Amino acid sequence: MMSPFRCILYFSGLVLVLGLRPVVHHPLMIRFQNCAGNRPLQLSGELYSNSFGEIFSVQQFKYYVSAIRVSGEHEEEVLLKEAHLVDEGDSSSLVLHLSTDLADIRTISFVVGVDSLANTGGVQGGDLDPMLGMFWTWNTGYVYARLEGESDSAHSPAHRFTWDIGGYKDPSNALRTVTLDVGGRSGLTGGGVRITADILKWFDGKSPVHLASSPVCHEPGALAMRIADNYSTMFSVAP
Amino acid sequence: MKSFVTIGCLLMVVAWMGVRKPTPMKLPVPAGWPAPQYDFKKNPLTKEGFLLGRKLFYETALSKDSTISCASCHQQFGAFATYEHPLSHGIDNTLTTRNAPALQNLAWQKEFMWDGGINHLDLQPLAPLTAVNEMGETIAEVLHRLQRDTAYVRMFREAFGDTAINTQRMGRALSQFLVMLVSADSKYDRVMQGKDSFLLPERLGYGIFQQKCSSCHRAPLFTDLSYRNTGIPPDNTLNDYGRMRITGDRRDSLKFRVPSLRNVAITHPYGHDGRFFSLLNVFEHYRKNMIVTPLTDSILQHRLPLSNFEIGQLTAFLNTLTDTTFLKNPLFAPPGYVITPVFIHRH
Repeated sequence: MMSPFRCILYFSGLVLVLGLRPVVHHPLMIRFQNCAGNRPLQLSGELYSNSFGEIFSVQQFKYYVSAIRVSGEHEEEVLLKEAHLVDEGDSSSLVLHLSTDLADIRTISFVVGVDSLANTGGVQGGDLDPMLGMFWTWNTGYVYARLEGESDSAHSPAHRFTWDIGGYKDPSNALRTVTLDVGGRSGLTGGGVRITADILKWFDGKSPVHLASSPVCHEPGALAMRIADNYSTMFSVAP
Repeated sequence: MKSFVTIGCLLMVVAWMGVRKPTPMKLPVPAGWPAPQYDFKKNPLTKEGFLLGRKLFYETALSKDSTISCASCHQQFGAFATYEHPLSHGIDNTLTTRNAPALQNLAWQKEFMWDGGINHLDLQPLAPLTAVNEMGETIAEVLHRLQRDTAYVRMFREAFGDTAINTQRMGRALSQFLVMLVSADSKYDRVMQGKDSFLLPERLGYGIFQQKCSSCHRAPLFTDLSYRNTGIPPDNTLNDYGRMRITGDRRDSLKFRVPSLRNVAITHPYGHDGRFFSLLNVFEHYRKNMIVTPLTDSILQHRLPLSNFEIGQLTAFLNTLTDTTFLKNPLFAPPGYVITPVFIHRH
């Protein structure tokens, strides 16, 4: 028969080992800051210029981020599996309030777009509701990212350029994974990460895409793949 | 005191009725058919879901000017195709570029549209709903309209447990109605079950059908659900190249879904753009008018030779695929509507 004292001792030892390992949830705020070069993005007719000197304004800028994960020196943690729609026109969508168990974050990564399960699984809800318009009804699939505006260089109707990028089937799979160096806990300012997204990279992030020659992209395919490659380079962690 | 108990009991009954579970329903799977493709785990069939789907199917408020419902182009007496219209009509005197296909046995289909562009039945209604040359409305506005309609609020609650009306639930309810459109009670089916027998021309036609047509129009669905180029030249006003627009692959140029031949006698006109007004036009196309190119289907590289005799017997057989039980089933008609189907109408 064990003495009660011993019993308590063993029990509390067990609790210490199993249950009381301190798990601290660190709040982690991710803020998306959309910009055009070194200027903040405005949807009110402000004029910007890409590296080819094409002058344009922007009316819509939206993109899905999903599978947000952070990694420390040895560990990795998925913070948000679901897709979140970042919409420059809706300031509440620019901030994500998450929390992480990791005390030290080295990198943050996410997918720009929506995984194939959501593309093939019928009508989705929340940020993936087809009602939000980031969806092709006639050729099922999500628009992963949209940049729309006007430019005299675009010889499309009303000089409007409309770039809707998506595609989940090979060889037109436009999903892109972005990994950013956060540089340890010290890189976080006030528990948050500021991620800037530079629209100018859509034109020349990896290969040149001119408004003059490609003002319209409305379906998966080679052009969408090139623009997706380009915008996968638009993100960086703001100092 | 007694009255308090009574009121309490009544309140409990009312509360219980409020959260009443919907009544499960089963898809009738005809004997010998493969397993359905539709994922019922995500969207279990219920009586309440089906009735809501049926109401939505006949709902003109889904279109911008409240003139068009799904049923406008998918008429029950025409096996849910458009009777005698080559191209579907949209709002404001618009025309679409395609012939509305019959809606039947959809639970066995994984892709939809003539080009297979839509990969889930729940998503299918969003295409005609938002297309400017069909119903021309936004999803948000349609949902808003349904949310203001107390009958819909009640029916969504009965079907899904609470009053939320959203895109997903609208799609799922419509699917519950659509998957129930099973056509498997034609004379052909009864003959196969040993309950009926073919007349001589029907029997001869069946033999010819098995020899010349059934590799694409495969029983029991009477389609192998593939996409094929059958030598139909593109119309220069429609410029519809079919499957190629979906895959981006040049080899898919002018490929269209093999249509089911169930109820074929009443689903005229035929072809993706309804250019063939009668079965005779279709036979003439296959034996004489096909434009054969290297991209035309390999089994049709020499067209499809058919004698006048064969055409006669084939027509007799194809008429046995008409399923009047399906065409007259009051379960699929709008509530309180008496239908008098035109069974076989020849030109």
